[in-house]
Amino acid sequence: MGKFWVIFVASISILLPFLCNSFSPETPTDRRVLVLLDDLAVKSSHSSYFNSLKLRGFDLDFKLTDDPKIALQRYGQYLYDALILFCPSVERFGGSVDVAAIINFVDSGHDLIIAADVNASDLIREIATECGVDFDEDPSAMVIDHTGYAVSETEGDHTLIASDDFIKSDVIIGSKKIEAPVLFQGIGHSLNPVNSLVLKVLSASPSAYSANPLSKLSTPPSLTGSAISLVSVVQARNNARILITGSLSMFSNRFFRSGVQKSGSSTKYEKSGNEQFLTELSKWIFHERGHLKAVNVKHHKVGETDESALYRINDELEYSVEIYEWSGTSWEPYVTDDVQVQFYMMSPYVLKTLSNDKKGLYSASFKVPDVYGVFQFKVEYQKLGYTSLSLSKQIPVRPYRHNEYERFIPTAYPYYGAAFSTMAGFFIFSFVHLYNK
Amino acid sequence: MLILFDVIDLTSLEETYEALRTFDVLGIEKKPDVTATACRLVSETVGSSSSTLKDLFYALKANSIVKCKINDKAYQGIITRLNAAVDGASSLPDFYYSVGGLLLVKGSKGDVHLADADGIFRSVKAFRQSDGRWRFSSNSPESSAFAAGIALETLAGVVSLASPELDQSLISTLNSDISKLFDSIEKYDDGALYFDDKLVDGHDHQGPLATTSSVVRGLTAFAAVTDERLNIPSNKIFGLANFFLGIGVPGDAKDLFNQIDSLACLESNRVSIPLILSLPSTVLSVTKEDSLQVNVNTVLGSNAPPLTVKLVGVFTSGSKAASLVESQELVFDDGTGMYNLNNLPKSIDVGSYTFVFEIVLHEPEHEKIYVTGGQKKVPIFASGLIKIENAEIAVLDSDLGSIETQKKLDLAGQNAVSLSANHLQKLRVSFKLTTPHGLAFKPHQALLKLRHESKVEHIFVVGNSGKQFEIVLNFLGLVEKFFYLSGRYDIELAVGDAVMENSLLRAIGHIELDLPEPPEKATRPPPQPVDPYSRYGPKAEITHIFRAPEKRPPKELSLAFLGLTFLPLLGFLIGLLRLGVNLKNFPSNTVPATFATLFHVSIGAVLSLYVLFWLKLDIFQTLKLLGFLGVILVLVGHRVLSYLAATSAKLKSA
Repeated sequence: MGKFWVIFVASISILLPFLCNSFSPETPTDRRVLVLLDDLAVKSSHSSYFNSLKLRGFDLDFKLTDDPKIALQRYGQYLYDALILFCPSVERFGGSVDVAAIINFVDSGHDLIIAADVNASDLIREIATECGVDFDEDPSAMVIDHTGYAVSETEGDHTLIASDDFIKSDVIIGSKKIEAPVLFQGIGHSLNPVNSLVLKVLSASPSAYSANPLSKLSTPPSLTGSAISLVSVVQARNNARILITGSLSMFSNRFFRSGVQKSGSSTKYEKSGNEQFLTELSKWIFHERGHLKAVNVKHHKVGETDESALYRINDELEYSVEIYEWSGTSWEPYVTDDVQVQFYMMSPYVLKTLSNDKKGLYSASFKVPDVYGVFQFKVEYQKLGYTSLSLSKQIPVRPYRHNEYERFIPTAYPYYGAAFSTMAGFFIFSFVHLYNK
Repeated sequence: MLILFDVIDLTSLEETYEALRTFDVLGIEKKPDVTATACRLVSETVGSSSSTLKDLFYALKANSIVKCKINDKAYQGIITRLNAAVDGASSLPDFYYSVGGLLLVKGSKGDVHLADADGIFRSVKAFRQSDGRWRFSSNSPESSAFAAGIALETLAGVVSLASPELDQSLISTLNSDISKLFDSIEKYDDGALYFDDKLVDGHDHQGPLATTSSVVRGLTAFAAVTDERLNIPSNKIFGLANFFLGIGVPGDAKDLFNQIDSLACLESNRVSIPLILSLPSTVLSVTKEDSLQVNVNTVLGSNAPPLTVKLVGVFTSGSKAASLVESQELVFDDGTGMYNLNNLPKSIDVGSYTFVFEIVLHEPEHEKIYVTGGQKKVPIFASGLIKIENAEIAVLDSDLGSIETQKKLDLAGQNAVSLSANHLQKLRVSFKLTTPHGLAFKPHQALLKLRHESKVEHIFVVGNSGKQFEIVLNFLGLVEKFFYLSGRYDIELAVGDAVMENSLLRAIGHIELDLPEPPEKATRPPPQPVDPYSRYGPKAEITHIFRAPEKRPPKELSLAFLGLTFLPLLGFLIGLLRLGVNLKNFPSNTVPATFATLFHVSIGAVLSLYVLFWLKLDIFQTLKLLGFLGVILVLVGHRVLSYLAATSAKLKSA
């Protein structure tokens, strides 16, 4: 028995690096996803969403939150690339998972989807707060919208909201326009205004408010209007991506399939926008879109091909970098016109937009400023929805050497002329003085 | 829903049967190719003696739906095989497949009997546990409700296959087991009941739907063969039906099969058939005079027996007051098959209500067959258009309360009032809401919003007394809350309720507020969210401004001055010529003449070196050459000068 155990441990420790290599900078798409559920019925009632993930090649591992064996990492290696928390009422997780473990999971670059619901537990709220999102503190509050609700024969309390106020970013929600409104039923949240990493993807309409639909409203609701976020995303500085929403049911098959008609509008859509919206959003969350990499950073003097170790002031130089976007299966050239390079020492001396050749190669040429010191080539590329690129390369710049200055300055010709005419006079004078008789 | 089955791999007999069964129950026409594929698969399995017992069982099940042609010889082979399997069975699934198989053969051939039904019954019963759950085999310690369902179905099969009928007392012992099993039933908040096997070690866990479905299948099969009534409270069956109806349409083909098959079992079972009361619409408009419609049918939508639907009472949501209406019967409409209440009672104004319905069966003996679930409470929203009148906005002087400016508002249309006030004045907004029945209406949302230019928002709840809604903002008390921010505030009024058909959000206009300067310790307004679109994006380009080159005179000027510098030399030469200089003193002897020539050549060389120094040489090269030339110059110069000195001394002395 003991021998078997040794063999088992040895084989795991040999295999582990190979088992855990699916999340890498080279292929950033997630592969193994842990789905934590309160109730296994969710697996069936939300199966369209899960199936769309499975069809895209994700390996979903469904676990109940009270399963004593759930763990995010083992022997220091993460077992999953992403985590889906479809467990709004969980009070504590089984196994070794807790808030700190989930935050560490995100801090090490993994992705997270959180769906809360009415009566979301403190644990889920705490995780959301760590991500920069505050759910309405009133535990029974829901988002209510008396002018933007979805017309329904059976739901009369206007908590089923049809929202179409999407973020304007093709990379986050896909380039195909989402025609039908998205159905939402749950709790609203607000974003911390000083947190620049969290974005509102789907906001409530100006007439929405967050309150308990059953009790009388005596104090102003804490969340109102388009400050209420229904779905938010976070892109951390390490490019980990997080999706937070206050509605678990928006992922459900029922909402995916149901038709939608927004109150006050006569257009009735056969199918709500939920499937398209959430599927496209999951592509972004799981790094199938908007993940950039920069390679082959090069710089050299104009007319040369080798990289210089240092530049002289006033040199003409060329800088180039190749940028690619991950498409889910391969790296495709990234084409845009707003990548900029800075020539930087304490502050940018030169900031220039790079031109591209539509094949991913970005280049610019400029003249080194006439200030010497240790400079940096900096590319700080941040665009809504894309992973940020931060490249910097140190390069010293020297002044002219003594013999590199201009030698024959026309202005000085009279001085030279005077000296040489004196010398010629002296030469003649030496004859006259010595041999005159 | 059918999409689910498109992806089914039609080589698995179990999945094929499930797909066929689901289509069958739902009454969907099977595609001919599905039937053909299924038949080919069935005859292959039935014909081969190497197929597993499980495949054989599902092949027979599929066959019972698609009715393929199987010859008698094949049937004889199957019967022998299954009989042998029954005798050799040692675990519950073995019994289940073999007994189930024989039952299916009996269904199509009709002359199949179990010789030792009594013994088989007892050996299956041996898997029973004391808590009503069953084990899969005698050596597995775990018991489950899932197995209980399978066991009941197997036993039902044994009973109907027994050729001398089984002793009823043997069968009736199971009654108490079934009751015990139902003691472990679990409950959702909405009254739906289900079975779930507690997770013991995770493997082979079926989930609540499969477990409940298995129990329902076993229970209904068993109820069909036993003579006595099973002792199960009918509301439990009703709760199970609610469970299957409440889960919606599952996204998994297996789950869908379990749901549809179980509903089909409940549709015509011998325990009690649930009758479901449903309302196509629970949002009724008072203004449009919608009629209340109620539908009663079985779980799969078949017509219910003759019955009456009674509206027992209507209660305002959240209050415990007495019913608003008398108990009354709904009118059955033959055309639609619905029970209608054509006009909502006069006492029903806009609001949310709980309607309580009751089903009364006409035939007393139906009470034993059907279960109606008692009184059913349905939340109903009665919505309507709310009349908004007397909307006004006014600026008042604080001390006297006298009106400074007052404007009428038309809340149905557009408004653009522009007001101004200082911190000593008040703002009053008032309006009146009445329901279609002329009563006071209190909406859930009655909010006044003031938004400063800097996007700082302030929200106030508009209070009411009866029909009259009024809010007075005393700016003196609000300066601190407004962060002493003077300037333009946009005013928005939101009035809305779930039952108000004309909920509104109107921008009324704006007010210029003139508030005092903030004291030093005043709180700063909270930071406002930054627009994400402006946060990113390219920055303005920066180009380095190079140091301007020194200003220089034009080249022509330098050249002119260069020419001027040669003028003194020219003057010197002319002067020399004027003076009539000669070189008569140049040594005439060869040796001194050579030294004199060398002396001047070396002076010329030193001067040329200076020119070269200017043109290309650096100081070190120059000094090296100069040292060399200097030595020659000194030596040669000494000879020449001493010769010249000697010559001139001779002349003087002469």
